[in-house]
Amino acid sequence: CNDILEETPRDRFEPGFFKTEDGIRGGLTGLYSGLRRLYGQPYYYNATETGTDEYTYGSQADGNFRAADLSGLGIPDAQNSRWDVLWNTAYANINSASGIIANGTEAGISPSLISEARFFRAFSYFLLVQTFGGVPLDLGGGILQYNTTPTLTSVRNTVPEVYTKGVFPDLLQAINELQDNPRVIGAVTKNVARLTLAKAYLTYGWWLQNPNNVPTYPETARNDPDGHDAQWYFQKAYDIAVTGIDSPGSYSLQPTFYDVNLAQNDRNSEIMLFADHTEANAQYSESNITGWDGGDGQNQAGWMVTWYFQNLKASKTAGTWSSVDATFRTVQAGQSYTRPWMRMAPPIDVFTRTFADKTSDSRFNGTFTTVYRATWKLNPNRAENILYGANYLPIAPNDKILSFLPSDPGGISYPVDPNPNPNNVILNQDGTEAGFLPGRADFVIPLDKISRNIYPGLWKLGAYRKASDYNDDKIASSRPFNILKFSEFYFVAAEAAVKGANVQAGKSARDLINVIRARAGKWRFDVAENVTKIADNSAAMMAATPAVIDINYILDERSREFFGEGYRWHDLARTQKWEEYAGSYRISQVGGTAPVTVNRELPKYLYLRPIPQGQLDRMSGDAAYKKNYQNPGYN
Amino acid sequence: NLKGRVLDETGQPLPGAAVKAKGGTSSTLTGANGDFELKSSSSISAIIVSYIGYESKEVNVSGKTNITVTLNPDQKNLQEVVVIGYGTQRAEAVTGSVASIKGEALREVPSANITQALQGRVAGVEMTQTSSRPGSGMQIRIRGTRSLNADPNSGQDAPLVVLDGIPFSGSINDIDPNSIRSIDILKDASATAIYGSRGANGVILVTSFRGQKGQAARVSYNSFYGLKNLFSRVPMMDGPEFARLRTEATKTQQELNIGTFAPSSDELDNANTDWQDLLYRNAMTMSHDVNLSKGSERGNFSVGIGYYKDQSVLPTNDFNRYSIRAAVDQEAGKYFRFGLTSNNSYTVTEGNQVGISDALGASPLASPYDANGNLKRSTYASTDPYKVWTKDLINDLKDRWLSEAKGLGSYNNMYVEVRAPWVEGLKARVNLGLNIRQTTGGNFTGKGVTSATNPNEPSTAGINNSTMTDWAIENLLTYDRRFGKHEFNAVGLYSAQENTFYRSDISVRDLAAEHFQYFNLGQAPQGNITINPDNQGHTVWGLQSWMGRVMYNYDNRYMLSATLRADGSSRLAPGRKWHTYPAVSAGWNIAQESFMSEVTPLSLLKLRVGYGVTSNQAVAPYATLGRLSNRFYNFGDNGDESYETGYIISELPNENLGWEFTNTWNFGLDFGLFAGRLSGTIEYYKQHTKDILLAVDLPPTTGVNRFTSNIGETENKGFELSLNGVIIDNPNGFRWEAGVNLYTNRNKLLALTSGSDRNEGNWWFVGHPINVIYDYERIGLWQTGDSHLNVLEPGGNVGMIKVKYTGEYDNNGVPVRQIGAADRQILDFDPKFQGGFNTRFSYKGFDLGIVAAFKNGGTLISTLHGGTSYLNLLNGRHNNVSVDYWTPENTGAKYPRPGGITAADNPKYMSTMAYFDASYLKIRTISLGYNFNGKWMENAGISQARIYFTAQNPFVLFSPFHKESGMDPEPNSYGNQNQAVTTQIVQRLPVVGYNVPATRNYLVGLNFTF
Repeated sequence: CNDILEETPRDRFEPGFFKTEDGIRGGLTGLYSGLRRLYGQPYYYNATETGTDEYTYGSQADGNFRAADLSGLGIPDAQNSRWDVLWNTAYANINSASGIIANGTEAGISPSLISEARFFRAFSYFLLVQTFGGVPLDLGGGILQYNTTPTLTSVRNTVPEVYTKGVFPDLLQAINELQDNPRVIGAVTKNVARLTLAKAYLTYGWWLQNPNNVPTYPETARNDPDGHDAQWYFQKAYDIAVTGIDSPGSYSLQPTFYDVNLAQNDRNSEIMLFADHTEANAQYSESNITGWDGGDGQNQAGWMVTWYFQNLKASKTAGTWSSVDATFRTVQAGQSYTRPWMRMAPPIDVFTRTFADKTSDSRFNGTFTTVYRATWKLNPNRAENILYGANYLPIAPNDKILSFLPSDPGGISYPVDPNPNPNNVILNQDGTEAGFLPGRADFVIPLDKISRNIYPGLWKLGAYRKASDYNDDKIASSRPFNILKFSEFYFVAAEAAVKGANVQAGKSARDLINVIRARAGKWRFDVAENVTKIADNSAAMMAATPAVIDINYILDERSREFFGEGYRWHDLARTQKWEEYAGSYRISQVGGTAPVTVNRELPKYLYLRPIPQGQLDRMSGDAAYKKNYQNPGYN
Repeated sequence: NLKGRVLDETGQPLPGAAVKAKGGTSSTLTGANGDFELKSSSSISAIIVSYIGYESKEVNVSGKTNITVTLNPDQKNLQEVVVIGYGTQRAEAVTGSVASIKGEALREVPSANITQALQGRVAGVEMTQTSSRPGSGMQIRIRGTRSLNADPNSGQDAPLVVLDGIPFSGSINDIDPNSIRSIDILKDASATAIYGSRGANGVILVTSFRGQKGQAARVSYNSFYGLKNLFSRVPMMDGPEFARLRTEATKTQQELNIGTFAPSSDELDNANTDWQDLLYRNAMTMSHDVNLSKGSERGNFSVGIGYYKDQSVLPTNDFNRYSIRAAVDQEAGKYFRFGLTSNNSYTVTEGNQVGISDALGASPLASPYDANGNLKRSTYASTDPYKVWTKDLINDLKDRWLSEAKGLGSYNNMYVEVRAPWVEGLKARVNLGLNIRQTTGGNFTGKGVTSATNPNEPSTAGINNSTMTDWAIENLLTYDRRFGKHEFNAVGLYSAQENTFYRSDISVRDLAAEHFQYFNLGQAPQGNITINPDNQGHTVWGLQSWMGRVMYNYDNRYMLSATLRADGSSRLAPGRKWHTYPAVSAGWNIAQESFMSEVTPLSLLKLRVGYGVTSNQAVAPYATLGRLSNRFYNFGDNGDESYETGYIISELPNENLGWEFTNTWNFGLDFGLFAGRLSGTIEYYKQHTKDILLAVDLPPTTGVNRFTSNIGETENKGFELSLNGVIIDNPNGFRWEAGVNLYTNRNKLLALTSGSDRNEGNWWFVGHPINVIYDYERIGLWQTGDSHLNVLEPGGNVGMIKVKYTGEYDNNGVPVRQIGAADRQILDFDPKFQGGFNTRFSYKGFDLGIVAAFKNGGTLISTLHGGTSYLNLLNGRHNNVSVDYWTPENTGAKYPRPGGITAADNPKYMSTMAYFDASYLKIRTISLGYNFNGKWMENAGISQARIYFTAQNPFVLFSPFHKESGMDPEPNSYGNQNQAVTTQIVQRLPVVGYNVPATRNYLVGLNFTF
């Protein structure tokens, strides 16, 4: 009876399933779900934003965030750098993609489906090469081959090798073979590949040019193995981006900027790639839908940039301060409110410089939460119908309880008691660092005097739940996290033009940027005031565009368009403008006090992020081997 | 007629002793209480009393009608018989390492299962509590850990339990301690070799009661009832303490520009709520057990039923066990013998969903009642809501909030034995084991029951079921024969075993009505039914073995045992499934040598040496095959049509996966002095484990997470000492016995993945024990004026935790870098030595017994005090463990300054505050008993009656952790349980987390025998 020594698993798949048609289709789905492990992942989000001009650390920041800020509170290293999230997820996706590419044809998979895998492999390599420099193309099974061999060593290729072998060929083939329109909601298309290739060409062009002499690793000459120069790549970037604009397929710009990021309008025509989620099913969302702890695929990025607005207090009674919560922590409160972790805060310059125009340009309004409203009534246990705010003026449910003012009008009274006691101190009665102005029921704080404790929230990423079944705010966002947008074609083409690409008629850098700016001038809703607002400031917006667009203008405009969406560090790294843009920032020690300038230390070796400790630990080899594997500066 | 009683050397009755009239034909056997009545027509001048293991005694009885005979142990046939694999052996002939403990000794510690009862009782057998929930088993390690497993529940370092001869595949909780006659623990390779690969981590042989040959019918009833009181509450701050902490924290936070935690509107300066007091109840435990047994010359039987109940201090949380058992042996004809043993139990565990984390985190400054005196749904500590729980509330919710696990286990084995009519001593035997264990779990949370904020939160429910079936067949041929001074015992065996496990799990949300609880999950909307593939499972494994063992004994002086075994396992790769390995051991009974006859105090001196190889298939089924993991995705948000299931390769196959081996040397010395008044054993062992089956985490650049391989090497060396003595023995009065055991185990990891000397993710480091802590080493707190704070801790503050810096210094003596990952140290976890002692005083009918366990050195991890429970944040966010923290006025404190620099949400390096010296001496039980005696018993037909009072867990001494916190120093959770953050401490290390608090129990027990 030798039978009892034989194994027939019935509860799992063996790797052999990965050679069948169903297995390969499942492998593709696995690649999409791989997006979640990066986009919306809060620590990866931290890595892409903290230390740029868009974000510094918030007052509840831990060591990871503080070190990432590079302002003297620690130095990013192989342990604390959270770019490990990218490193630790990318290769599994690359290998899976290689498996689909290797087995797909034999299993009868159509070329367009195989090219979805090609896209993901190239997309992963593009992210890796921008972040770490040269990375391995051979995972153990040969260059770009599916690996099924346990391998405890790794050899890094150079940056040009990664681009010319790991990024461009797959994307070129994907553009040829992918469909124009997504086969299912959110699937990749020709234009998704085009946008990625255009960005890759643009980025590689900058790399070849290397205007600020940033080092690369593994060391290599800045020569293109395919024999092209930077200019060739800028031109290609421009051409492909313009092709994308001219053959949009199912994609288009939304009529207003507000529409792009409105929760009810998620997965709109402008969004080309996103890491999807749903509040309807925990298993397929890979995220808890009734609580906070739900694995590594959750979208929690918005928590990081939300301050402790729920500390806001009002009084139960007029005349005598009887402190009660003015807000209720619930996902039912809508997109303006998200679970607060206060790990990251925007510096003041975001509001004084990047978003200087807050009236014509709808993007400030459509990016931030700058008015907080009294939401206590959402708590079923609260009976009060009226509370009293600043100056004991009455506040009805959904009235403003706190407003960020564009700038300091003067005359704001602030808390002075260093030990705030909400029960009897009229100053600081709101429970935050805000102050009050005569005649106003809401507490106020000017945007040019925000601190790490009090700053606008990021409305764009706000949590939102359609159903009313769950009312805690601890749940991860069930909204998709956006990755690529149709609008970026305009920016990529414009940037390539700025870098000297020959432009088509009517598609100069200024023309392209003005498409975006014209749209930004259109209003249909005022988020802060929570009212419909129909306005068209397109003409004024276009008129305000400089005659000559330079790279700094592109970067500013990109921040206005894509603020807080995880683009920023790669933008600054590509253009080598990190120090120029983020070398210092301003923030107030305490809300309402004069801002202080904080300097950052940004030595050039940081342009390559550290190889995570986990990789070094798991490789066999001596210290010298591992040191050689690590990027310079981190040993 | 002659009446009388036969007692053993300790004055205990000897049932089943043979009493025979000298020169006559009349004979009888003693009854349960040692009594006999010899009927005879003629007068009897003398009787001969005999009993196995005792010297026969001839007593002159002429003229007497009532006599008491005391038998002494046969020094040649010293002590009792021990159970070894596939047979029994006289203790003196044993050459391997075997430790035995009788059922009565086990029951000195009234407990739910044998693991609790065995704790601290046997040298080299370490029982570690890993959950304080009622009905939890303990982690058992015999002579340390050999294999490398991240998951302690994999069972791959656990010993094999054999119940009445058949490998036991169920839950340790299914064995009723009342049914156990003895436990024999096989510790070294030569003893375990006969069990082959399944015995690689030691074997625990459990023998349950059977009727004795020729025994009169006997009914015994054993019971206890006890009250359980809190041993200590978790030492959280009270209102004033917490208010003070928040004030201190706020001051520091404002100074350092770190966010503060303002009081919520629920928190009042003058409130002082003890949330734990509102939650805990006084609990009870009880046990009832009835057993009936009888034996005849050719057969015997025993049947029993038992009930056990144990409550925790959390409302509704309890464990119940109903057990029923039967054992029958019967001879038929001249050559046949049959037998059957059946152990069945039904267990119900309830209320494990009730926890204490809300009670610990809630602010003591918040009142549970609103202005109208009604219980609030929740209270806020700063911005965190905590659900309000009271014992009454939970009791009232019992139909709307439940978690139940019901287990039905049936373990049966049968045998047929045939004696060869033509060869003396040759027997053939077939054992057949048929086991099944089924569990059904169900949980239900009614609408809004657990939500801190939402009375309308949809209900949830779920079921999980599992079935384990297991069969084993063993064909044995034994030859047992004595030729003068030569004694042979040979066993040949072929066995096969197959185990199938199947589990399923379904969860739903938003049931149509609450009365469905979890009993009709179909009453939830289709879209809300989840069957997660990761929670379903089906595994089958098989094992086939050939084995031969020869034992030879010459004149009780020289003993030799040799075993050869071949195992085939389904879990390993084709071509590598089979392996054959040997074990030998030898013994020399020095005391039996003629030259020793002069050394009269020495009754026993035996030297044992054993060497053997054991192998281990310590890997889950299908590990050779690799695996695809599931990934899920929603393409859009349009319900079912959006959902797709995906895959990613997560484990690579390994076609070369083979056996893991351990080479063991064992040296033992058994001795007995002063006619057995003092006896003991000293043992030394050395184990070397190679080709360890290990899930190797691959570098991310491989594209696959891991594969399983024969990698790794470990070593265990240890020393064990047990001593038992009768210190005072006045036959008619006071008697004092004591036993002590002490053992050490030095474990070392010799090799990991080739070329790598560390696996930081799993805290494995070559050259160190398998269990270590990898963290910074705390050397105090930063004080004003300490140099290099700004270099070592940029952004740090005075009063923060100071850890050891291991880097270089420049020429001016300034550190060259900040503290970082390179400064982490490998810190000791394992104790230096541990053991236990027991002592018993008796006088007339009274006896007083004490059982204690101790441990010296090693590290106790209290996640409550470290960073992972989030209960020692020291920032005023929510309630905090009451600790002595640094302030400018209290610079000598142990804990850091509240509100200072953080890493994640905790004070920086807070993990280092979790480490305490693990030493303790714990009195596990003190029992005072009284054995009734008197005419009334005889009249009532009672042969034995005993009442006892037991205090369990009364004291803890010499424990730094207990001294600081008042808490029980025994762990109550694994490293990834009962904390807010479960990823920081490796799963396999037991910790003190926020599990059910320990109790101090007071029991009264009654035993009757009829």
